[in-house]
Amino acid sequence: MAEPAVKPKDAPRTMKELRLARAGKRSSRAKPVENVLREGLRLARIPDPSVMVLFGATGDLAHRKVLPALYHLWRTDLLPHEFQVLAIGRRPFDDETFRAGIQASLEKYSRILPLDAEAWRSFEERITYLRLDFEDASGFDALVTRLDSIDRDCGTRGNRMFYLATQPSQFAEIVGQLGRVGLDHERLESGWRRVVIEKPFGHDLDSAKRLNREVAKVFRESQVYRIDHYLGKETVRNLLVFRFGNGIFEPLWNRRYVDHVQITVAESIGIENRGAFYEATGASRDVLQNHLLQLVSLVAMEPPATFQANALRDEKVKVLRAISSDPLNPATDAVRGQYGPGWVAAMPVPGYREEPEVDPESETETYVAARLTIDDWRWSGVPFYVRTGKRLPKRATEIAIQYREVPHRLFKDEGVAPDANLLAIRIQPDEGIMLRFGAKVPGLRLDVRSVTMDFTYGSAFNVDSPDAYETLILDALQGDASLFTRADEVEEAWGIVDPIVNAWAEGPPDFPNYDAGTWGPAGADDLTVRDGRRWRRF
Amino acid sequence: MTNDTSIKIGAPVLRWSARAHSIAEIESELARIWSGQDLTATVDGEPGRHVSARTSVMNFVVVARRPELAERCAATMQSLTGRHPSRTIVINSADPDGPSWFDARVEAHCVVPREDAPETCAETIHVTCGGESGLHLAAIATPLIVHDLPVTVWWPGEPPLAGRPARDLLAGADRLVVDASTWGGDGLARLREMADLVETTDLAVSDFALVRQSRWREAIASIFDDPDFLPYLRSLRRIAVTYSTHDATGAPGSTNMVKPVYHVGWLASRLRLSVVKPLAPVTGHGHGHAPAPAKGARGGPVRPAVSRGVAATLSDGHAEVAVVVRPVVSSTPPGTTLRVELLAERRGSELRADVTAEADTVHVRVWQDGVEAMERHFRAPRRTDVDLLAEAIESGRRDPVAVGALRSAAAIVGPAGARS
Repeated sequence: MAEPAVKPKDAPRTMKELRLARAGKRSSRAKPVENVLREGLRLARIPDPSVMVLFGATGDLAHRKVLPALYHLWRTDLLPHEFQVLAIGRRPFDDETFRAGIQASLEKYSRILPLDAEAWRSFEERITYLRLDFEDASGFDALVTRLDSIDRDCGTRGNRMFYLATQPSQFAEIVGQLGRVGLDHERLESGWRRVVIEKPFGHDLDSAKRLNREVAKVFRESQVYRIDHYLGKETVRNLLVFRFGNGIFEPLWNRRYVDHVQITVAESIGIENRGAFYEATGASRDVLQNHLLQLVSLVAMEPPATFQANALRDEKVKVLRAISSDPLNPATDAVRGQYGPGWVAAMPVPGYREEPEVDPESETETYVAARLTIDDWRWSGVPFYVRTGKRLPKRATEIAIQYREVPHRLFKDEGVAPDANLLAIRIQPDEGIMLRFGAKVPGLRLDVRSVTMDFTYGSAFNVDSPDAYETLILDALQGDASLFTRADEVEEAWGIVDPIVNAWAEGPPDFPNYDAGTWGPAGADDLTVRDGRRWRRF
Repeated sequence: MTNDTSIKIGAPVLRWSARAHSIAEIESELARIWSGQDLTATVDGEPGRHVSARTSVMNFVVVARRPELAERCAATMQSLTGRHPSRTIVINSADPDGPSWFDARVEAHCVVPREDAPETCAETIHVTCGGESGLHLAAIATPLIVHDLPVTVWWPGEPPLAGRPARDLLAGADRLVVDASTWGGDGLARLREMADLVETTDLAVSDFALVRQSRWREAIASIFDDPDFLPYLRSLRRIAVTYSTHDATGAPGSTNMVKPVYHVGWLASRLRLSVVKPLAPVTGHGHGHAPAPAKGARGGPVRPAVSRGVAATLSDGHAEVAVVVRPVVSSTPPGTTLRVELLAERRGSELRADVTAEADTVHVRVWQDGVEAMERHFRAPRRTDVDLLAEAIESGRRDPVAVGALRSAAAIVGPAGARS
């Protein structure tokens, strides 16, 4: 796929400007004026007055994540005073009952309890409910009328963010309806229009392309915000600061010093009453295609020229292309697994096939590990081992940069040689960064032992980090797409995962092949052992 | 010596306290605090929580001239222990003409910020001294500072910034924290001293008076986010700031004017306006318009003071920008900004913006050629010293916006005596 062209601000835009530029002359077009009063303001910019139209407002995602995130943004004065939430759902609620339901959810899922009564009171006043069947065209006509009335009454100035927290199968329908009634148009002085789409973006490359095409018929790419909530996590954002805000690590961030990289997204929980969803998804589509490949991109990307959304995303896409340029061999570079019964956290747990809403003969994978290679100048020959699974012994998400051994082992005769250096970036839990290095053991002998320098967020910054959804929703309201995935990123990622999933579909697996509470199938160990390496122990 | 091991989540607990009468004794107590500690504590009656070792991410030196001020500052610092564990040195010097004496209390406070977070402990050293000892602030603070960690000096009240003791102490500091809105008189002479300090050193300055106005700056900046209004930004012709006074005469020097002058300083620095005429009392018809009535603003109705305020003239290189800073009698704390009015003219068209304080919000209204074109509210609840101090600490190195605003404010104030 062709890389999207990003035109520099001062690039010639007309034939006349092009001729002048070729002649080495400047056009008389005035330089764009900037709002210099914005420069250096430390306070987070308050988004423009706006309405968030929340589709799927009665669903689990809205109640667990989206609405609590909005409440916290409101509580901390980060939303505009002229902000409204228009909740859309199929169930017959009035405003009052819907608000009562949200309050109950906040009391359960809010990261800070008890609720701030005053903040809640002023927040709930801004929430209204509209019953709407997504297939009902007249309902969308009513939505237009309702939004116009909100603009008039609440000063939201025509700025609208459509948040699709629905089943993925409804995305195209809703976007199509929004286009039909003209809610996508950003006409002069009519305010901005943005659409936020939750993952998964398709279930394979073809469906992702189809969805992107349907969305592109209505919205421009710059209006589309595809959420992968991992990108909003504080530690993931810190990865960019760590890499590009420190001078000492980037020179060591390449094939010359790095032996291999391991990225683990381990979950101790099972499928949590999401059997139907998980049966249609599996670990490859649920985590590998998005979270894991996003982490790989962030670790492996070249420094972007600026921190602008497209500059950042251009570099991430290049990594994904470099992976897909040398396609994986599903037989040797990827391993799948499914948990059987076992023990987790001292409790017996059922196997995947015994979970509710799961086929007793299910072939859905709950574990996937892969050996990726990035075919570019920086990473050629450095394997990236990635793994994710359900019902593993503990919850842990970590990026580990394993450095090479020293070229000459000077201390080999003195006790045990130290391990090679390791840099581990813990994303959850105990967010932090650990660097392992060798140190002399005190005493007369020259024993060398591995020790760690450990930075934990909890000790250095004893503050509550915002939830990923708070970060991402605020960014979307401010029009900053840096932490959202672009259409071409999504498609490139599917291009990596599709061949694996398709190959697996051809032969029945030998499932279950790992016990709940263990670190996955034996085949996963072979991926690393074959290269003379091993998975990190947690 | 105290060793209280019961801990409540979020509340700092005194875990150690000892007296000392010299710097050497303080150092020895600091070493003892951590060497003999039982590393478990009781939480909600349950024993066994692991106590993390001492944590310091910075040194904090508080210079408080009154004991109650010292206690208040120490309490503020303790509230920040969980967030920014620091070694805090509170210096309270008294009776400079009396005999020299030195007394100190060394304390360790611990806090468990969250249920799942490790306990964090930090030391506070309260030094009280009299006579000549109290004049040599640097000689007290320097040996007690944890080296390689940044040093922040918080100087509540009136810091004698031009004096030798302050200069010596600040020579070893990275940041100075003050609240210029509490300074005596109009506060502007000291503001110039602070600007001089910033010009001649690498010191970063955090002024609560400026930090408190961040929501105002956000509100004013938001006007020009609108592409229709942005072209007017470089054509500003008038800035009028109205502030509250309790003095019916509104005479220059009767009320602290740092906050209103900071508004002008910030705008001037961002728009690169130069000073043509510094602030001087308005006489005769001066800069024209009477301030718009601020009905409904914080503290209820207001009425103009007798004084017409002070005025200055700035320039954007093409045209002049008139500045008026005017008092009105109001029940709000003296020196509080009540209104900022902007007038911009461009190609025969006019943009007028009116930004006012209303209870806990900042209210923005904009008229284009007399037609109301925008109205917004920004929530701006009053921030505590803990919030302000946290923001000051977290702002990293020198904040170019703060430096620019201070530098421009000092230039607008002009040479001492010009306003009288």
